[in-house]
Amino acid sequence: MKIAFPVLLIATVLASAPRTAAHHSFAAEYDSTKPVDVTGTLTRVEWTNPHIWFYLEVKDEKGTVTTWAFSAAPPGVLMRRGIPKEVLKIGSVIHVQGFRARDGSNNASGGTVTFPDGRRVFTASNEDAVPQEKR
Amino acid sequence: MKSRSAFRLLCCLVVVALSFCIALSASMSFSQARGTQTAARAVPRTADGKPDFSGFWSTPAQPGARGTATVFTKSKMSPFVPGGEALFYEPRTGDPRHDEPRAFCMPSGFPSGFFGPYPIQIIQSKDYLVMVTEFQRITRLIPLDGRPHQKGIEPTYYGDSVGHWEGDTLVIDSRNFKRWSLDDYYYVDPTQYRMHSDAFHTIERLRFTDGSTIAYQMTIDDPKIFTKPWSEDFEMKFHPEWAQTGLYEFVCEENNRCPGGNCRK
Repeated sequence: MKIAFPVLLIATVLASAPRTAAHHSFAAEYDSTKPVDVTGTLTRVEWTNPHIWFYLEVKDEKGTVTTWAFSAAPPGVLMRRGIPKEVLKIGSVIHVQGFRARDGSNNASGGTVTFPDGRRVFTASNEDAVPQEKR
Repeated sequence: MKSRSAFRLLCCLVVVALSFCIALSASMSFSQARGTQTAARAVPRTADGKPDFSGFWSTPAQPGARGTATVFTKSKMSPFVPGGEALFYEPRTGDPRHDEPRAFCMPSGFPSGFFGPYPIQIIQSKDYLVMVTEFQRITRLIPLDGRPHQKGIEPTYYGDSVGHWEGDTLVIDSRNFKRWSLDDYYYVDPTQYRMHSDAFHTIERLRFTDGSTIAYQMTIDDPKIFTKPWSEDFEMKFHPEWAQTGLYEFVCEENNRCPGGNCRK
């Protein structure tokens, strides 16, 4: 199996990075009873406060494409850890698990991100609910 | 072919070793953020001999704490006065603007806004101590010239602070708060939102325990809620490495896409 060094590097940094606080509690915006588990192509990154957002185009078995938006830590927190916005490469295929926004839209907390090399990393804020591993 | 396989194996080993180093480095960096490492540094002093707190610091946290926002320890608190508990725990109403105003970029208030895991920059002169947090870019301007509290002003989210020296300890006395959140306890338990009253009065005591550590004690005096003042001890750790970039910008309104759980398109 080929492992791209930048991906491994980035995944390792993300995996070892501390969880961070949000400006709001998880319960205020997301519904822990509605897990989201999708794989898609990264199409856009908003490197903004109070949280970064990244967008995935997800294709179902019928070929219908749905866009999902995921929130993660603030940019300052990520940059202080040495993680620039280039970490999230447009066009890459990633697997994201999180919880849906309370309004039922295709917005969610980006709880964990799995990169193509299989590494599973935590990207949500500290107080957020964490998706459990499927058994 | 053998040599190519060996080369690939070597590359993989190098990648794994580098990854481990980076993970270790990131982990150490985080440990520093909450104070498990100390660098040897003499206590810095200003020209007039006072301890100089200028620099970048982690926010006050219980020694050894990691990651989350600091919340006050319930067992440290004094008993409630009659009716105090009802003022302390604000009932949730289901209206997100009431239940969590910060999700709408409202101010954190003091002390809540100073207790998240974000850097604080302190700038000290003879007459002022300035504390700026990265989170919400809160600025406290604390006069050290012995002036009394202001009178007849409207209560505020961050209160009116004045400071004075008691030997090498900087004492900051703050009053004139409006009723607002005490801490981020609702992150831990969303059913409990802890508030202080409009009689809230705090005394902070800052002193160096070594050149890279501030012992930070907060005394809370809130006679509408507690029978008597109570105190809790925290630490702040020095982070010279954060000076390289300074505080990052934090404009909450920039892209607050899901305030109260209602996301905009």
